[in-house]
Amino acid sequence: MTSDNNVELRVRALESLLLEKGLVEAPAIDEIIDLFENRLGPQNGGKVVVRAWTDPAFKARLLANATEAIVEMGYDAVQGEDMVVVENTPEIHNVVVCTLCSCFPWATLGLPPVWYKSAPYRARAASDPRGVLVEFGTEISDEAQVRVWDSNAELRYMVLPERPAGTGAMNEDELLALVTRDSMIGVTRAQNP
Amino acid sequence: MKITRDVVLGLYKNTGTARVDADVAASFKVGDIIQARIINPTGHTRLPRYVRGKQGRIATDHGVFKFADSLAHGGGNQPQHLYSVRFDARELWGGDAKPQDCLYIDLWDDYLERAE
Repeated sequence: MTSDNNVELRVRALESLLLEKGLVEAPAIDEIIDLFENRLGPQNGGKVVVRAWTDPAFKARLLANATEAIVEMGYDAVQGEDMVVVENTPEIHNVVVCTLCSCFPWATLGLPPVWYKSAPYRARAASDPRGVLVEFGTEISDEAQVRVWDSNAELRYMVLPERPAGTGAMNEDELLALVTRDSMIGVTRAQNP
Repeated sequence: MKITRDVVLGLYKNTGTARVDADVAASFKVGDIIQARIINPTGHTRLPRYVRGKQGRIATDHGVFKFADSLAHGGGNQPQHLYSVRFDARELWGGDAKPQDCLYIDLWDDYLERAE
């Protein structure tokens, strides 16, 4: 195992080498960091979810043609070219995996978390989704249906989590705080207020 | 080539869909029962082993897309229909799975044959 400290040192060493050898210019590195910290990430997906929770016409457009509805919100980036959004309900729980590798909707959720790319998640989310969901603290009733989406081809999937009960009076910023990246992968629900 | 800020911006913008605007006939329609072919290519494929030989139902026809397998092998786009195919969890994983659970996966036309 490599400690986080060593990873940081190694990244610094690599960055120095790339700059010294003139392979990368410093503003390019700043741009990559800014992209993934501020412009591509689950904050975008969260805004899509909150809009769907609060705007029924948008939700209908999102479920009918997710690509267009997401671009309409300004999230037009790589790995978002062909999107599908699937809706969780009390009867249906959706969860997304890429059994091939790590396909993930960057424009709305950013880069995939490490566990999403791990062989155990990729194998078990397909073969034993209920077991995996329990490990994420997500209990699914025996009556509900679990739908797994293996996004190994060209489309990218995002889950529209259920709006938690007791949130009717919340404003958009308060709702946004309840929408986690994991809830849009489908391994958890949106947080309760 | 030195990686500049402009190169980075170009890499992360929408690079264009794998969708192809071509008039290609679909071999299957929504509702058809299909079987995923049993193939064992030595190179890249998007047809995972766990669905090979299994029966499912066409849930959605996504339209015509470049074929990832032929692209990976230098065989060009070979544009063809890409379908969302629904498999019952029990068909894939056996009787321990819940009867209502299912898995959807996007499969190209060349992966599929009509179920007997």
